[in-house]
Amino acid sequence: MQNGHYQARIRAIYNYISDNLYLNRPDIAIKGEAFNSTLLLGLLTGLNRGKELIIGEPGLGKTTSAEYVGSILYRYPLGLIWGSEVSGHPEQTEEKIIGRPHLGELNKGKEKVVWSNFAQIPVKIVDEINRLPETKQSMILNGVDRGNWEYLNEILINDEYSLFATANYQDRGTNTIIAPLIDRFDVLIESRHPGANIAYIIGKEAIVNHPLRHPQYEQELHQILRGDKPYAEKMALAEGVCDLFGEYMKEQLGLEGLTKEERKKINEEMLELDFDIDANAFVRMMLAELSFCHKYGQKRSVEVCEDGCHYTGYLCHHIKNCASNRLPLSIRNYTQALAWFLEDDGVDLEHVRLIIPYVLAHRIQWKDSYLSKKEGEGRNDPFQIYLVKEATEEIFQRYNEQREYLLEAFSLGYRSCAGEEVIPLEGDHPIYEEIKKDIGAKDEKPL
Amino acid sequence: MEIEDIIQKVWARVRRKHLYPQLPLPTVIEGGEDVALEIKSKQLSISSAFFNKLKEKMDGEDIVEAVLDHGITHYMYCPWDFYTHITLYNEAKKVVRQKDQAQRATTYFMDVVTDTYCVKEKDTKLAALYKNLPQSGVHEVLTALYEKIWGEDLGSGKHEELVNCLSRIPYLERRKWGKSIKKFTKVIQDMLEEELGNEQQSAQSEPNPMGEHSLENYSLEEIDRGLREFASAVEDLQEFKETVEDLKEELEEKGYGTGGMGRGKGNAIDANLLYYMKLAESYTLPIKKIPIEKRGYLHPHAHRPWEIGKPFADIDVWTSFGKVMPGITQMWTKREGETHGEFEGTPDSLIIIDSSGSMINPRERLSYAVLGAACACNAYLKHEARAAVYNFSDALRGNKIVLDFNHDKEHVYQAICRYFGGGTALDLDDITYLLSCADNPDIFIITDMQITNLEKLIDFFTGIENRVTAVHLGHNVHAARFKDATEKKKNISLFNVKNKEDIPKIVLGKVKEYLTSPS
Amino acid sequence: MKNPFEAFHHAGILKREIPLDTILKSKEATLAKILAGYEDLLKNEAKDLVWLMQYSTVIKAYSIAEKGMEGIEYTAEDIEEFCYALDHSDQIPYLITGPAGVYISALCNHAEEEEITLHLRDLNVKVNLLGYRLPPHKTLIVEGNVGDFTGIGLDGGELIIEGSGKNYTGAGMKRGKIVVRHNLGFNTGHGMTGGELIVGGRIKGLGKIVGGKVFERDQLIFPNEGIKPFYF
Repeated sequence: MQNGHYQARIRAIYNYISDNLYLNRPDIAIKGEAFNSTLLLGLLTGLNRGKELIIGEPGLGKTTSAEYVGSILYRYPLGLIWGSEVSGHPEQTEEKIIGRPHLGELNKGKEKVVWSNFAQIPVKIVDEINRLPETKQSMILNGVDRGNWEYLNEILINDEYSLFATANYQDRGTNTIIAPLIDRFDVLIESRHPGANIAYIIGKEAIVNHPLRHPQYEQELHQILRGDKPYAEKMALAEGVCDLFGEYMKEQLGLEGLTKEERKKINEEMLELDFDIDANAFVRMMLAELSFCHKYGQKRSVEVCEDGCHYTGYLCHHIKNCASNRLPLSIRNYTQALAWFLEDDGVDLEHVRLIIPYVLAHRIQWKDSYLSKKEGEGRNDPFQIYLVKEATEEIFQRYNEQREYLLEAFSLGYRSCAGEEVIPLEGDHPIYEEIKKDIGAKDEKPL
Repeated sequence: MEIEDIIQKVWARVRRKHLYPQLPLPTVIEGGEDVALEIKSKQLSISSAFFNKLKEKMDGEDIVEAVLDHGITHYMYCPWDFYTHITLYNEAKKVVRQKDQAQRATTYFMDVVTDTYCVKEKDTKLAALYKNLPQSGVHEVLTALYEKIWGEDLGSGKHEELVNCLSRIPYLERRKWGKSIKKFTKVIQDMLEEELGNEQQSAQSEPNPMGEHSLENYSLEEIDRGLREFASAVEDLQEFKETVEDLKEELEEKGYGTGGMGRGKGNAIDANLLYYMKLAESYTLPIKKIPIEKRGYLHPHAHRPWEIGKPFADIDVWTSFGKVMPGITQMWTKREGETHGEFEGTPDSLIIIDSSGSMINPRERLSYAVLGAACACNAYLKHEARAAVYNFSDALRGNKIVLDFNHDKEHVYQAICRYFGGGTALDLDDITYLLSCADNPDIFIITDMQITNLEKLIDFFTGIENRVTAVHLGHNVHAARFKDATEKKKNISLFNVKNKEDIPKIVLGKVKEYLTSPS
Repeated sequence: MKNPFEAFHHAGILKREIPLDTILKSKEATLAKILAGYEDLLKNEAKDLVWLMQYSTVIKAYSIAEKGMEGIEYTAEDIEEFCYALDHSDQIPYLITGPAGVYISALCNHAEEEEITLHLRDLNVKVNLLGYRLPPHKTLIVEGNVGDFTGIGLDGGELIIEGSGKNYTGAGMKRGKIVVRHNLGFNTGHGMTGGELIVGGRIKGLGKIVGGKVFERDQLIFPNEGIKPFYF
């Protein structure tokens, strides 16, 4: 990357938050640098318009990390972010989450929607999403997925947004997050305990006047969002106040947030980063193990894989469900974002191996037999993420062993699709069967 | 350029070449002139003395890159994990029957595999490095071997006969490593004996220029996992036992005990116990979740839109803004209250295991009876229940172990694995005593039913209400008698096992059933 | 439709071949030829997977085996590989130890090396008929245990068994030497007319011996006062 200007700003944001606001330990390393996963992935979510699910024990900074990231990246004062959050509890209604009828107009017999702050602003935080009843989860499904919000036949479409949802671990007050909703999250991350020493400092140096608050700008933004103007106009006005808040941050805190144009530019830069050949092949290998079923054609959660299958040693034997097509999208977005952040020329295997556990952990349903075997193993991560990290390394070992052969198989696949007569390579791994299917060759392996 | 600077310069390139291993930046140590590399817990360290010595013959960057290629490939390819390492050691030991020789053979084999992989798959300067390394003993043979199989001139050309045999081994086929190391060890066996003999005489060991391989390379978790996989993979208990006995000192030094990791140094390892512990970990049940119970009363839970025709009683006036019209009005849906049920807890379990002469000695061969008992114990202990063991042979003559209910896995396993090999008679007083120490425990009894006081046992079981699972091996009149007598008792399940390999699954199936239903 | 493998257009890797690959390929090719010869022998001699151990069938099998290995260049290590291949059903569909032993004997007899060592300790199966017609100036050392009819018709060579044998060892041997480190079974030396049979362990029973010498634990047990030559 030739121009590291934006990256430098994002690094400065990262450093500021980690030094002053979200104190925690680094727990991941890449390219010789150590980062805190919650903060790094939060920033990447904010940058590439992703959807993040943050889990953790109560009081460990799940919501605050998202608030800080959203506030600085999008230049919204913290008070407005607070006021726009949706909290998960059973009595949430559509009127509180999305919008409500304008009461005055309603009494005149007219339909007019007053949109909620949550629906309008690009930083969307749902606190304790798993306390929402499943009906309410479905309600925000569509909005979360495409940025479309509907109420009383009116539609609001967000140009850009990032979603941060937090969830405590299962206890008596929680529901499960419905499968279609959880699949829409790009990443799952844990906000961890920072350790005794850092926790002490957090307690000792509690902030009285939060540096990211600005009551005046908060008030102005509230006014704008509450107003009658069309959405596009409101957002243009809001951007003006955000510019002022951005200047305030720069003067007072030495921080530069991003304008809408800058965020768009960053996204374009990210999209230009291509996968190198190893990253490409590795992801395909992983997707094959997550979707392939020799007996039933593909993985399905209602079809049980039996022992004795030729592919018993692969991931497909240990999981119940099939990987969705959102998975490769999430992999692509986040690896590109990470590579961009690190100022690398493209996405390589190291980026992919780092990101995959976080994009896959919440999407995979493991078999009970596999869970019970792994439950007792020592680990540093929550169980879901640990399992995928282990699985990723296993697949990496397989990739490492058969790299040349696999690349040759892909190359033959290319030639076949280009019209050449080739004999596809045989191999033990599901990917070779997938290649054969794609080029129209037969699968001869016995069941 | 200083070696530290070279490492900084070369490291990024080497990492990319090897697909980004998760290793920290290598360090420099003083080290000896003869040893290039040290690997401890994933930290690669290059010897500055070695580097300085070789710098006269080779470019500094080439030296560092070649050494790192070797070290990284050990991590990324061979052996990759502790399980592969001890499997190779185990196979080598079958040939040489001596720990030192087997360790040495394993090290050399792994080096050959690693270096050959590097030369074939990566752009490496290892050949040039070997050309400049001292050649004596086995190293001379290996250098000659490299010459032949890499097609490089390394200034050797000796040991034609040995090299001809060694060159036919498929080093890069992982699935054949087991057989390959045996062939490899067989061929160099005489040289290994000579080398070790010379070292003993001179009281000095010949260092491996490319570093030694030991348990220092692995974390406790890796060792634990490796042992588990090894226990499942070996054909014979004796193989596992032998290997663990060989590594006992190093394991204990590292703080690995029979009870598992992190017990601190100096905890003795019982290889037999460890075997059953690790094997039983392959048969596990997931932890029972806290049940959710319905409380029987309805409470407002969520809103849904009101439609014409629906009752008015549940309309939420506030959320409906005082309006009653479709699209605006909301009504409450009510739900039965749920809370977490009172966690009944898992009952304790009493394992009764027959260790008479007709049963297999678990310390000599794999005993599925013991394994089944171990699986049951694991399941209960995992659910924070206690386990008691009554291990009997001729109990009336004192051949018995009565272990009270407790949470200590190691004690339980010790009791289960004990073998008496005498007659077969229970002392019912012992069982009565144990049952009195817990609240309605589940009972698992694993035996071949050839018990001299079987009638008394039958009477005893028909008189109790505990859940009893009896697993017996083979058909005989005693088993038939037991079956007839207990058929009508719903709390007693009897399983006749044709394949003893089914015992753990049968036991676990029953445990699962017990744990998910109230006692 | 878009080519899903577009990114791998130039991924045709320049595979680096090292001499190890050539050696292994050549080894596989030689083994394949040897296996083909063996399968040919079975096709002709063991239809319905039945082979009767008779004087005439052994001779016939041997000549078919010789024909089957014509033109194959192999070494002692290749013979050993073949022995191990016999142990694995995925490489050889069926193993019949009689024809297998004859085939291995033919391989040994026609190998270039004068001294051949077969490390068969890890073999699950005990091969019969090893050392059949071992010619002069040839030494065959077998590490491991062997089956029946070992060294029958020995014709001047030296056969060393670093293990035990079974029945009919040395039957019909004419000249040469058989050394067995451990034990032998029944009918040892049956019909032997010359040569030496030296056994380090116990012999369960001697056959009807015509000539030659038999030693058990350094003691000459044939000919001696108790056992006289047999005349057919």
